[in-house]
Amino acid sequence: MRLVPRDEWRTVLAALHASGLVYLDLLTAVERDAGLEVVARVVRPGSAAAEVIVAALPADDLRIDSAVPVYPGAAWHERETAEMFGIEFTGHPDPRPLLLRTGLGAPPLRKGTVLAARVVQPWPGEFEPSRPDRAGSPSRRRARPLGVLDGWPDEGGRP
Amino acid sequence: MTVRGVIALIPDACTSCMLCVRECPTWCISLQAHPEQVVDEGARRPRTVNVLDAFAIDFGLCMYCGICVDVCPFDALEWAPDHDYGAATRAGLVQPMERLAAWLAPP
Repeated sequence: MRLVPRDEWRTVLAALHASGLVYLDLLTAVERDAGLEVVARVVRPGSAAAEVIVAALPADDLRIDSAVPVYPGAAWHERETAEMFGIEFTGHPDPRPLLLRTGLGAPPLRKGTVLAARVVQPWPGEFEPSRPDRAGSPSRRRARPLGVLDGWPDEGGRP
Repeated sequence: MTVRGVIALIPDACTSCMLCVRECPTWCISLQAHPEQVVDEGARRPRTVNVLDAFAIDFGLCMYCGICVDVCPFDALEWAPDHDYGAATRAGLVQPMERLAAWLAPP
């Protein structure tokens, strides 16, 4: 794995392409505390040669050069990564969302995005068989579903 | 090897402890129960048991992770090999207690 500065993303990819790693195997993103990382893996067809490069994006500026001029196959990967993580790939020839409807709001694969089904559906685990009449009573210690954030949904807290 | 066909319920083994309902990541299990006093012969006072009234798994939400089967302390949930339980409507994928119990019922 090789960390590259964001501004050199396309230059590094072009150099890798020129060195024979002409097949884009993977392009995605990972959320970290400080922001997001864009990850790409390129390989040389017919051999084991491969390189993984990572570029860090600060949380307040999620932009990176599109890899499409170098690897045309990156187009769909970047469209998907853009809609799932809220990253802008500058210079992408066709930046329409790939899988999601437009206007959906928060990017679904970001850790701060709350699953809509958890808002509209009451948690079935709230029911207490020993006191069926008192289910949902505010005096009862609230049993919190697994994976749901503290202070959620009112305060939009993080884990 | 575990055959992940359908999840069957053995109602007599269920104590309505709510563990499966609370552990389920997809919230696909629902359970209704009420407490009842049982007087044992020779016991000084009655004990309280939870009586299972209703139990349902929504196979439209279930992702077949098997956590409910693993977490059940009384082995009241088990994998059954059947796959043929498609439904024509969304509501048909919600299987009530009677149907869940039939998957592993002795012939």
